[in-house]
Amino acid sequence: MSPVFSAQANSVRVGAPPVLEVNHIEKVYGSRGAVTRALNDVSFIVETGEFVGIMGASGSGKSTLLNCVSTIDAVTSGGIFVDGQDVTKIKNAKLAKFRREQLGFIFQDSNLLDTLTARENIALPLTIGRLSADETLMRVQEMAARLNISDVLDKYPFQLSGGQQQRVAAARALVTNPKLVMADEPTGALDSKNARMLLENFENLNRTYNATVLMVTHDGYAASYTNRVLFIRDGRIFTELRRGDDSRQAFFNRIMDVVAIMGGEVSDAL
Amino acid sequence: MLCKLAWGNVRRASRDYLIYLLTLALGVTVFYAFNTISLQVDIAGIKTAGMREIMSELLSRLTIFLAAVMGFLMVYANNFIMKRRKREFGLYQVLGMTRGQVARIMAYETLIVSGAALVLGIICGIALSQLMVFFTASLFKTQISNFHFFISPSALFITIGCLVAIFVVTLLLNLRVVVRVKLVDLMGAERRHESIKTRNPLLSGIICLVGLALIIWAYCRLLHDGLPLTAPVGQLDFAMRRFGITTLMVTVGTVAFFFGLSGLLLKLLQTMRKVYWRGLNMFTVRQLAAKINTISMSMAIIAMILFFAITSVTCGMSIASAMNASLLRCTPADFSCNVMYNNSEFVESSEDGEITKGVMPSEPYDMQAALEERGVDFAKIAKGVQQVDIYSSVPAGEEDPSILLDDLIRRSKTTLPAGMDEATVMYQGIPVVKLSDYNKYLAFRGFDQLHLADNQYLITCDMGDTLDDMFNSILSAGTTITLGGKTLVPGADKIDPQAGAFCNSALGLNSGTVVLPDAVVDQMGFALQYSSLLVNYKDGADAQKIDAEFADLSSLNDAGIGIGTNVYQNDGSNIGFWGNSLNRNEMIEQTDGMNGMISYLCIYIGFVLVIACAAIISIQQLSSVADSSKSVRVLSEVGCDRLAIDHSILLQQAVLFFFPLGVGLAHSLVALRVIISVVLLFGGFDIGGTVGLICTVFLFAYGGYFALTYGISKCIVRGAVRVRHTE
Repeated sequence: MSPVFSAQANSVRVGAPPVLEVNHIEKVYGSRGAVTRALNDVSFIVETGEFVGIMGASGSGKSTLLNCVSTIDAVTSGGIFVDGQDVTKIKNAKLAKFRREQLGFIFQDSNLLDTLTARENIALPLTIGRLSADETLMRVQEMAARLNISDVLDKYPFQLSGGQQQRVAAARALVTNPKLVMADEPTGALDSKNARMLLENFENLNRTYNATVLMVTHDGYAASYTNRVLFIRDGRIFTELRRGDDSRQAFFNRIMDVVAIMGGEVSDAL
Repeated sequence: MLCKLAWGNVRRASRDYLIYLLTLALGVTVFYAFNTISLQVDIAGIKTAGMREIMSELLSRLTIFLAAVMGFLMVYANNFIMKRRKREFGLYQVLGMTRGQVARIMAYETLIVSGAALVLGIICGIALSQLMVFFTASLFKTQISNFHFFISPSALFITIGCLVAIFVVTLLLNLRVVVRVKLVDLMGAERRHESIKTRNPLLSGIICLVGLALIIWAYCRLLHDGLPLTAPVGQLDFAMRRFGITTLMVTVGTVAFFFGLSGLLLKLLQTMRKVYWRGLNMFTVRQLAAKINTISMSMAIIAMILFFAITSVTCGMSIASAMNASLLRCTPADFSCNVMYNNSEFVESSEDGEITKGVMPSEPYDMQAALEERGVDFAKIAKGVQQVDIYSSVPAGEEDPSILLDDLIRRSKTTLPAGMDEATVMYQGIPVVKLSDYNKYLAFRGFDQLHLADNQYLITCDMGDTLDDMFNSILSAGTTITLGGKTLVPGADKIDPQAGAFCNSALGLNSGTVVLPDAVVDQMGFALQYSSLLVNYKDGADAQKIDAEFADLSSLNDAGIGIGTNVYQNDGSNIGFWGNSLNRNEMIEQTDGMNGMISYLCIYIGFVLVIACAAIISIQQLSSVADSSKSVRVLSEVGCDRLAIDHSILLQQAVLFFFPLGVGLAHSLVALRVIISVVLLFGGFDIGGTVGLICTVFLFAYGGYFALTYGISKCIVRGAVRVRHTE
């Protein structure tokens, strides 16, 4: 059974390929005798401007999925298309450029370079991409304004609060205008106030600037900010929920219902 | 079980241990090889009496120095490894191992690595010591009579003893870490390094510039003052104080320079907006700045140590080569001896008291006849015998010399070489030789005759380039000498540097002698100053035997020609005394021995210091690269390819390796300029040849560490990039 969930909602441009199309991918670890199927025939599509959550217990394969999509890890079989381009076929030498231009990453620990100021951290993907100094600084300024971190740009990461660090990391991920922003447990290390602020930022970026975000989380509250949630269990897609016109609270309740059905660690984690 | 765990750990942490192992092994190699010196001296066929004892005595002291340096290095390298392993040792304890068991694992690990280093080092050391025999032979200029494979048990014993001592010290330090430190600190060790040192870039940039200014000021002072050795006698204290202040300035300047370097680099690059905001440049600069901030003190120390190493090696080697060059120039005959004549001052003071009354000689003492009286059969042993008589330029009945160097220099507008201000030649006057005597001397040496007109003079000298240049400039300026109303002009515009040695010496004794037409000397009635007798042995004669006979004569006082033995003229009055007698072979042997020893010391100290510096930087670099593996991962995720990351790391490491070297080199160049000008007084200075070779070897060792560090760093980077973000 391999249902393909596609999104008809939101802004589908006719003829344009979806931002992300995951097509029957498998990821197998280990060799003969002790084989682990981390991903087992997973397929889904993310359209431009969607804010998609992926939920699952630890070990369910959600991080493996994210790693495969982000080209950090290679799939065993199947195809992953970002903006129509099959990332599993990209040569190693071109991967860095692809990641730089098409993808943005946000991680649980903000992963800022601690010797660089916030401004420099945000500018990094642009300077690596050889953008001119003026353009770089202008875009950094602009992105910082959107994320409310303009006043901390010249501080070092260790001088920033956890929430500020995470927003700097988000700015770094978004500053290149990537096709797809991937967030791996971005609220995992934040207290609830900062987590809410970051999620509202995501929501805002998604609504106002049509940014496409793929967020892995095991937190139902975080997931309730998305348009759609994919649930993963044992390397397969278990089901998906669409927010539709629900309020965030109602969507949260529906998410928690699925979590209860799935059982296991997800509910423990809440 | 614990052994197995330890073995697994060593293999797993092989990258961390590699640099430790290499440093230790290199230490053992150098240690062993240099301790076999006394054996090598035998095999290399060095016969100079006492050389073996002197060398092994000297080197055994140096060994203590080496052991201290190596011990420090080992402890340093070990700390680096321990820092990386703290968490692991904490984990063992959390899992229920006792501290004793953890300590034993660590002891086994240290034992495995030290053991491996010992075996590796001793094998390399034995190999190196075989090679070094040839090196020793070439340094001491001897032939290897019977080469055979050798192992020195005593060197082996000392080496193992030292290594065991170092091992025990490291072990104790490691145990202290495990026993003393709280478990929670062990577990959290990884997280703690994250606080980075930041300094106000503007302020530190200014500090850096102040440091630079101090250094330059100190350079100027040194170039202006010269070494305190060359200071006028009365001002020595003052000169020493000034020199001390200069040294302090350069030290403080160096420390300040490295302290503020990060700020300067940062400010400088930030003003170049286009460069700063391009590629990984800002990352490179920031990382570099952070690193320099944490290790600025050790960078400064390393720069100073390299300065010391470079200067002492170059200096020692060049003194050795200067001695070699001057040896050829300053040994005109197989054997030479001198008679020093009484001067008027001595004659006056000898009139009272019990001192034998001295007189001024009326004619030169016949040295050949005197030696024949003492049983020397010149007909049997000598191919050529020649006496040269040198006169002072003090005319009869006067007290002041009529030819003064000071005067010649002033009139020819020649600049006086450094260190000459207070030299005796400046106020004693330049001695004189008759043209006929000089031509006999030239004939003895097998050189062309010199022709001078009645109104011409020439100068001779055997002290080497600096003085030669000074006299050449006096001659070419056409400086005149007026004697007894007669004006003499130079007979040539250059002196012959090879034809100025009137007796054997190590570094030259003739600091300027004027050749004058015989008539002028006679007319002025110049007093005799000294006579030299030069003897060349017959071809095929047993030189060693003749040398020995002369040596016997030189050791006797009244029956021989020992230093200070009085010389009497025919009427029985004392006219002077015998001076030095020297044979050429002995001079050569002594000089070669001395050269060899100086070279050895230089190379030994220099090599150890260079290796120690390189190893310390290398260890620091590796630990910082390992610490920054997280940053590398982030860069890769942000979309930076590995080549660019490698490039950035190469750049950072090049700066950290070569900035201290550069500063050390700059200091040395300035110091050497001053030192060389003094060394030059003793003759030629040869920066090429052996010095060049040694420096190349050192640079290879230093560069080798750099290459190795970069290679390992690249591996670490590759590993870090490959590691998944979410483990």
